[in-house]
Amino acid sequence: MNKNNFYKLSYKEKKVLFLFLLPLLSFIFLFVFIPILGTFINSFHRDLTFLPKKFIFLDNFKRLLTDNSFWQSIRFTLLFTFISVPLQLVIGFIFAILLNKAIPFRGLIRSIVLIPWAVPAAISARAWELIYNYNYGLAQYIIKSLGITQNQVNFLGSAWSAFWALILADSWKTAPFIAIIILAGLSSIPQEIYRQAKIDGAGFIYIFFKITVPIIKPIIIAALLFRTIDSLRIFDLIYVLTHGGPGGSTASASIYGYQFFLSGEFGYGSCVSVFLFIITFIISICYIKTARFGEKI
Amino acid sequence: MKESKIIYILTFSALCFTLVFCLTPLIYMFITSISDNPDFLAENKKFIFSLQNYKSLVLDDSLPFYKYIINSLAISSITALLCTFAGGLAAYAITRFPLKHKSFLMILILAVSMFPQISLVSCLFKMMSSLGCINTYTALALPYTAWTLPLSFWILTNYFEKIPQELDKAGLIDGCSRIQILFKIIYPTAKPGIFSAFILSFIFSFNEFLFALMLTTDSAARTIPVGIALFEGAHGQIPWGSIMAASIIAVSPVILITLIFQKNIIHGLTGGAVKI
Repeated sequence: MNKNNFYKLSYKEKKVLFLFLLPLLSFIFLFVFIPILGTFINSFHRDLTFLPKKFIFLDNFKRLLTDNSFWQSIRFTLLFTFISVPLQLVIGFIFAILLNKAIPFRGLIRSIVLIPWAVPAAISARAWELIYNYNYGLAQYIIKSLGITQNQVNFLGSAWSAFWALILADSWKTAPFIAIIILAGLSSIPQEIYRQAKIDGAGFIYIFFKITVPIIKPIIIAALLFRTIDSLRIFDLIYVLTHGGPGGSTASASIYGYQFFLSGEFGYGSCVSVFLFIITFIISICYIKTARFGEKI
Repeated sequence: MKESKIIYILTFSALCFTLVFCLTPLIYMFITSISDNPDFLAENKKFIFSLQNYKSLVLDDSLPFYKYIINSLAISSITALLCTFAGGLAAYAITRFPLKHKSFLMILILAVSMFPQISLVSCLFKMMSSLGCINTYTALALPYTAWTLPLSFWILTNYFEKIPQELDKAGLIDGCSRIQILFKIIYPTAKPGIFSAFILSFIFSFNEFLFALMLTTDSAARTIPVGIALFEGAHGQIPWGSIMAASIIAVSPVILITLIFQKNIIHGLTGGAVKI
């Protein structure tokens, strides 16, 4: 198809093109762009329930700079993302390599791997809450059965253990997603390459790092990008499992911002959201720069 | 030991790890739901089989989970329909008409679904309450549609691209309008793609939490994830049995969909990623 013959289209065809794009564009404009714009505008305002809205320009952002709980939430969000995403990549890779093999019941096993991804996070978080239950949870039972400790462990009671409890629950849900994406990459590699490498005497690990990974690198980066963006805005799992506790140590930026919306401080809450938005944007740009997406399209 | 034997053992242990990792929480959820007491793993306690938890879901009016499930199914179906419709129109336009900056436009549309939800939810709340939509299906179905449209648009674009334009030309010669071509020729030809787009938008809106939490103030209007997340029980004791029974009922439609349409889902999810 010729690239730039837009101007050659007849008036009638231009109208059709426009009308076909209109529903999608208007949905996105009305329910994504206008709210985002509103949040940006709000972040420059004092917007409290029962008080008249007032333009205060950068005062909210000044407050952010000295708000220790906010920086704690940003630190948690970044730490959570950059520990959980690589971990999920490793687990996802194991799943993907396995699913790419000619194992029996491959279709069924693929479906089973997909199930954690398909289950609503808020609902599985409730199951994790029961697993981590102090008195009779499954995790307690496993730890005692394995003889690791005989004392009751309060999994969600300390900042450190709650952090890892969240990472495990999050990985359960998202490693399958990474696996499915990587699997698509693996199955696109022709078997001929492997056969040739084996004839040349290449080992297991050599083949993996020197052949497999370089070929599917763009796909790995795409999976990492999706997961990182998703992890930076994590909300539902933490909301159900720890509520940001103990003592605000596991409050992600989304949880922290939500607390202000709940108490009616829309201006400051918007300011927190805008900050998260900017962080997400910058990190995405970094990914896209390293991967050089779009060159192939 | 031979290399093939090592590979066999590695594969087998990876398989066990995968199955245990993926299924344990769900099996635990299920066992708790059919247990008389949720503390069956504590010392001196035993597992006693009972269907009481499921019975109370139906009989007890203080557990309105069936309402939440209906809300969720309705909102997700409306969203999925709107997504396949609006996404299909746009995908048709983008694959059939020559357009400047096409890939830029496509990346821009995909970028929409990458914004943090928290950065729009407060304004959506104000918007919906000024329209008087809070607690209605509209308040959730419209933002969900906007949110999942980029995905269904990408999936459908992938599929529509593969359909030869000769089909369109034949249709045009026969005097069909573009919209007739889309619904009578393209949609039936791209059925697996339509399916993928429908199922994925359904799952995404069924699972969404933050919008559903903020945009419903009345407990009867909640969706099932919010209903289950906020359920604490009347007497301080968390009724784990009922919650797990409700969870099992709530996740069974998505699990069924996953088992049956595994191929469509994988196609839909990976199409975009592989393309980038």
